[in-house]
Amino acid sequence: MNKDEHEHEHCLELFEKLSEYLDNELDEVTCKDIEKHIKECVPCFVCLQTLKRTVDLCKQSESKPVPKDFSKKLKKIIQEMPKSPPA
Amino acid sequence: MTARERTNRKKIKDKDFELIQAINSGQFDRFPDLVKRYEHKLYNFGLRMCRDAADAEDTVQETFLNVFKYLKDFRYETKFKNWLYRLAASTCIKKRRKSKFAPERELSLDEFLPQDQAEIPDQVPRWALMPLDKLLNDELLDKINAAIFSLPEKYRLVIVLRDIEGFSTAETAQILNLSDANVKVRLHRARLFLRDKLKGYFENE
Repeated sequence: MNKDEHEHEHCLELFEKLSEYLDNELDEVTCKDIEKHIKECVPCFVCLQTLKRTVDLCKQSESKPVPKDFSKKLKKIIQEMPKSPPA
Repeated sequence: MTARERTNRKKIKDKDFELIQAINSGQFDRFPDLVKRYEHKLYNFGLRMCRDAADAEDTVQETFLNVFKYLKDFRYETKFKNWLYRLAASTCIKKRRKSKFAPERELSLDEFLPQDQAEIPDQVPRWALMPLDKLLNDELLDKINAAIFSLPEKYRLVIVLRDIEGFSTAETAQILNLSDANVKVRLHRARLFLRDKLKGYFENE
């Protein structure tokens, strides 16, 4: 399929399901339908690849250490809590 | 559900089961172990949701105070971690309601579709093909964090729980009290939003 033919109902229908496809949440028939479609449709293939890379990058989002002062403060608050939770 | 049905329901024995049981049986000196186990994860969840360190600290503190208050009512019907994040997410949502942010904007699928023929891609961009370790650097990590921050909260909550914290669709739905379908819709829009931000970043690089 070339670029000019891309305004396609089927593309739009599959576009909505690409995240579910990446998450393996679709039934076999729909998965096969997407796989067949992206072999023939470059824009949808690009869309899937860039979405997949976005998810991979999002998963790399770094975590920060807990500030030492806050950790100490939290420890103190917990130590000062009553020895049994409120009734 | 009747009280009997509730009692007969199978308890979920996750990695926190013994610790929770110990605390609930009176060993309150074990509570700091629970804090130690989750403070780092909750702090980062708070940072991603609240944007600043002071609010993230408040979220962690309020969440643990609520855990302390309600742990005796925990019925092991879900993993403890899921219950904990439910408390944390609810703290974040309440915090936002108290703040003066503008109403949240909705993301629609249409805004992520190419607007004209020129926008329709004809090849996979380099950033989606390069090995991940070659692509990643501090600047990009900052961009990813900034893009996550710029998402409206209801979409950010879902993407943080699903793609960063690693909860399943069903778990995320349970934590946020949403349907599975709703979680999927929000996640897809959030990912498309981030994809557009990343695309913009790489095109202007």
